[in-house]
Parts: sequence; structure tokens; C-alpha cells
Amino acid sequence: MLVRKRSFGRPGVLAFLAGILWCCLTGMAMAHASLTGAVPPDGAVVGAPPKILYLSFSEPVSPLVLKLLLPDGQARSLDEFVLRDTTLEIPTPDGLGPGTHVLTWRVVSEDGHPVAGSTIFSIGAPGSAPQAGTEAIDWPVRSALWLAKVAMYVGLFFGIGGVFATRWLIPCKGGGPRLVGTATLLGLVATILSLSLQGLDALGAPLAGLFDPAVWKAGFATSFGPTVAVLSAAFCLAVVAGRSGSAVLNRTASLVALVAGSAALALSGHASAAAPQWLTRPAVFVHAVTIAIWVGALLPLASALRRDGDAGGHALGRFSRLIPLCVALLALAGLLLAAIQVRDPAALLSTAYGNVLLAKIGLLAVLFGLVAVNRWKLTGPAAQGDRKAVRRLFRAIVVEALIVVAIFAVASAWRFTPPPRALVVAAAQPATIHIHSDKAMAEVTVAPGRAGPVEISAVILSSHFSPLDAKEVTFVLSNAQAGVEPMRRKAELQTDGTWRASDVIIPLAGQWQVRIDVLIGDFELLRLQEAIEVRP
Amino acid sequence: MFKRTFATVAALALGAGTAFAHVSLQLKEAPVGSTYRAIFQVPHGCEGKPTLTVRVQIPEGVIAVKPQPKAGWTLEKVKGAYANSYDYYGTPTSEGVKEVVWSGGNLADDEYDEFVLRAYLTKDLKAGETLHFPVVQECPDGMAERWIEIPAEGQSADDLELPAPGVKLIEAVAGH
Repeated sequence: MLVRKRSFGRPGVLAFLAGILWCCLTGMAMAHASLTGAVPPDGAVVGAPPKILYLSFSEPVSPLVLKLLLPDGQARSLDEFVLRDTTLEIPTPDGLGPGTHVLTWRVVSEDGHPVAGSTIFSIGAPGSAPQAGTEAIDWPVRSALWLAKVAMYVGLFFGIGGVFATRWLIPCKGGGPRLVGTATLLGLVATILSLSLQGLDALGAPLAGLFDPAVWKAGFATSFGPTVAVLSAAFCLAVVAGRSGSAVLNRTASLVALVAGSAALALSGHASAAAPQWLTRPAVFVHAVTIAIWVGALLPLASALRRDGDAGGHALGRFSRLIPLCVALLALAGLLLAAIQVRDPAALLSTAYGNVLLAKIGLLAVLFGLVAVNRWKLTGPAAQGDRKAVRRLFRAIVVEALIVVAIFAVASAWRFTPPPRALVVAAAQPATIHIHSDKAMAEVTVAPGRAGPVEISAVILSSHFSPLDAKEVTFVLSNAQAGVEPMRRKAELQTDGTWRASDVIIPLAGQWQVRIDVLIGDFELLRLQEAIEVRP
Repeated sequence: MFKRTFATVAALALGAGTAFAHVSLQLKEAPVGSTYRAIFQVPHGCEGKPTLTVRVQIPEGVIAVKPQPKAGWTLEKVKGAYANSYDYYGTPTSEGVKEVVWSGGNLADDEYDEFVLRAYLTKDLKAGETLHFPVVQECPDGMAERWIEIPAEGQSADDLELPAPGVKLIEAVAGH
């Protein structure tokens, strides 16, 4: 070394002291403690809350900050600890609940350099408390949408279904009961208005924008657009079928209106959007057609019974023969759709969609009970002209029709409740980011993209899109805002060339920093970093 | 004078008993155009595991490398061509040792050891800069500690998690 070559004396001594100073100063800068172990181990799932947490370091340390992040996102400061040699023993606070906890530590080793990190453990099972998202609900628009939907169902099933019934099942003079015509017109108006309401909902605009052309355009652009177009045409046909002079034209128009109206429902909505579509769309169609035939016949039947005479008995006979088949198909298609949408029976109680379905099933049970009583007690005597039975049957049919309207009202609430199927899909939706640096880029996927146990995978390419031969890849996650210091997880190379770490638990929702340490050769390390949004 | 002495004493007091957590070079400063004794201090293994192999990458501009054998360790010198040709006391040198590997040893996590090599720091190296020797410690089960990060402009070694040990280059000593 330089000092040795100098002669002794004052400059030599000075230089010698300076040399020692160098060693000491740099020695200080170099002395960083590192974590060598933790109990419970990082990422562990333990059955019962641990009494004491242990952090072992490569050298004795003094804690600056020890924090425990609870599953609900609250931070508990850990002020009590004991240092035994190089291990910190930290008694846990009382009353730790199940869920994922993060022990975040910042310690200083003898050199005065702070070192920080986080270890995660879960009690019971990994997971985090869901934090409810608050989205302002525009109640006027929502109520109007719901009303329009109910009116649309009334129009389709009582209106178009009624026209079909008067043309094919229960012949009556004139255009059939006036209520059928009213329902058809109501349906037409509601369907056209609902286009704008869908637009308002899609744009998040208030009800005042109901007649804004841009809103109508937005409404038409939604998946509901084709439904409105076809359904409106069906309503127009039904109006024609109720008024044209030609019997053949009337019958044809009513049949086409029935088929088109039912098909329109299969064009959009939760049920039609579910996979497999080859099954769900026909099921929605069958469900709608059978409802239209059955429900549509109610008003003309009641009207025929009221008028008395042979026509009523005749109509009743036809109705009772056709409807059981209709109802069987209806129930079959309905059950199939419910099974696809709900998936897990537990979702009936735990989701809004399931609750609506339960309410609908309850009303259906009442309706079928009433139908069964009518069928066995009243239909026979009524068909034979028993006046009392006929009057009672008329009243029963009116009640049935009212229950049907109530069912429409309940089913219309589905417009606002994503089915459990969709919730499952939404929850599983991954979060992805693209990180680009001058040397490399990475496509990072966190699946599912929400707090809890996740799998992180990355495709790493050179900046010229050619594959990058990495020796080792480590994911480093941190959330400075929540005070979570870096947690590292080594990734495994998969046969398809992606790097994956599947034992990762993200304890909190929010913005996380994802860093990828890519070891290219033995001596070359690349770092890629970007923020990623993790849903609750 | 007083200031310097004070600083020295303060540093000595503070630095006493300091543990070294990173692999570091014992001699922190060296003039270019001279022979440097690189003493790599290995303070611990990989997360509790012993160190079985120590590998040192020789940076460009460092030639005439002569590692010091260690009892109980197998010494390997990986040779190759340099990016440039360097002058070694009048002889152009364009190839030599690029990596030094001490393997087959067993340095427990709670033990300390030093690994030494001697090399010539060519005058092509710039005084005022820091020369980094990336070091990898290999442990059982494929575990490793890699001290291979070199600070980018504006960064200091303290900003890095895995800083490569470095030596500050100073002006060539007159008369050499």
C-alpha cells in the first residue's frame, strides 16, 4: 500500500491514520445486517396465532420500526422485543384474528445503516378482509331502468304473448282483451326508452340527459342495442297482428312477433352472456317463449271466461292441455340457467344475485301452488260450465297474473346484480403490467389481481423482443404507502419459458411496487420495476 | 491537522467491532499503474449456509492477476481475451485471467475468511473512479450470495442491495 513506501515521520503517521480512517469509514458503510430466518417462516400458514415472532439476522441489530399489518389493513406497532444474540423475539399483540399478517421491520445494525424487510404469515388461511368499494348509485336512473325492464317484460309476455294466444289458442272477437293491446304499447314505449336509460347508465349521466342524442347512441352501442331493435320490431308486429283484417296475416305476424321477441331477450343480458353460449342462448329463448305462451294466455283466458259461454270452456280445455308442457320446458330452461349462473349453492345466500333468485323461486312456488289448485279443483267444473267455479277461476287467473307481474319485478332487479359466475370471473381477473427498460422488458401477471394468495408470472424478453436467458428471477414486492417493506419470492422457470412464483401472498389491496431481479450471468443483474394496482 | 485527527479518532471509536455483512475489499484505495493486493473479506454465508465457492470477476483494465492459493480450497483461473490491449511495463497484454474461483472449501456462516489476489491496475483505468470486482459466494442447495451490483451514475454503493466490492482509484504515484 501507498503508506508503506513513504518515510516515517509526521506525514507518514498522518497517512497511516488516514488509512485506518478509510478502512473504518468504508467498513461502516459496508456493514449491513441481513435477515437469515424468521418464525413463522415467510409465507407460512399457521393454525393458531403465534405467541412470539422471531427474526434472526446475520449480526446483532437494533430495531427502529417493528409493525404488524393486520388483515383489515390496520397497523399495530410492536414496541416490545428482546434481542438474544442475533435474534429478535417479538411478543405478538393479543387478539390476532385469522387472515394474512405482515411483519414489517426496519432495523439498524452496528454501523448505523438501516435495513428493512417484511415477512408474511397467515393464521388459519391466507386471505385479506375485503374492503368494500363505494360506488355512487344514481337512484333515479336505476329506478327508471328497473321500471322500463318490468314494463318491457309485461309488454313482451302479456302483450306479444297475449296477441299470440288470441290468434292461436283462445280465439276471440276483435283484437282480444284491451289489456293485451295496452301491454303491447307499454312494452314498445318502455323498450325504446330503455335504450336511452341504458345509455345513461353506461355513461354515468343523470336522468336529465334522457333525450340527449349522445346518450341514445351510447345506449345503442351497449350489448342491449340489438335487443331493443329486435324487440321494438316484434312489438310493432304484434300491434299489426292485433289490428290487421287478414286472419292469416294476423296469425303469422303474432307468431313472428313471439319468436322475435323471445329471441331478442337471448341477444343480451347476464344469462345469454354466460358460457357455454350454444346452451345459454337457446335456453334463454326457450325460457322466454314458454313464458310468453303461458303468461300470454292468462289475460285472453280470463277474458274468455268472463264472457262465459262455450268459448270460455273451450279455451280452458286447450289451455290446460298445452300449458303443462310449456311450464315443464320453462322450468327446465330456468333451472339450467340458474345452475350456470349461480354455480355454488352457497351463492344463493351470499350474493345479491342469489337473493333475487331465491325471491323469484319463492314467488314461483306460490304461483305454481295456485296453478295446481286451479288445475285440480276448478278447471274440471269450470270446463263443464259450473258458474261458481268459473268465477273463482277468473279471480284466480287475475291473481296469477299479478303474481307474474311481481316475478317480473323481481327478475328485473337482476339487471343490477352481477351473477356469481361473473363475480367469480371478475375476482379471478389478473392484474398485468408491462415493464420496459433499455436492456430488457417484462410482461408481469399477478393472478388473481386482488389481495390474497396470488401467482406472479413474468415473460422476460430482451429489449429487442428476443428471448432473454435468465439464470434466476426474483420478484420483489413492496408497498411503501402501507409501510410494507420489500418481500422477495424466487421464481421458477416453467417449460413454456415464463417465470412463476406461486407461493405469493399479497396482504393488502392498493398500489404495489413490483421489481423483477433478473440474473443474466453469474455476475450480471438486471432490475425492472413498475407499480401495479391490486384490487381488494 | 486537528480536524483530521479528530475525524480519525471518531471513526476509530465508531468503527470498532464493526461487522462486515457484504463482501468487501480491505484496501479501499489504490493508485492506477500499480500492483494492487485485493483482499476480499467474506463475512458470512448464504442465509445461514456455509460458503463453498468464492468467484471473483476481474474487471476490464486489471491484468497480470495472480491469486493467492488457500489451504483447503481449489484454485481455478479462468482465462480469456481482454476487450482491449493493455500496457504492462512496456509489454502489450491482451489476454489473461478474467475470473478467479476458489472452490471446494467450507466456510461456515459464523466464520470469517479472506481471499487474496494480486493484480496490476493499468493506467487505462481512470483515477477518481471506483473499480468494482463482482463477487459470487456459492453455498449448498444452489444458494448463492451475489455481490455484483455496480452503482449507476449518481448512485452510491449504499443505494444497492448487493453492491460489488470496490476500490477507489487515485492518481498514479510519481516516480513509477
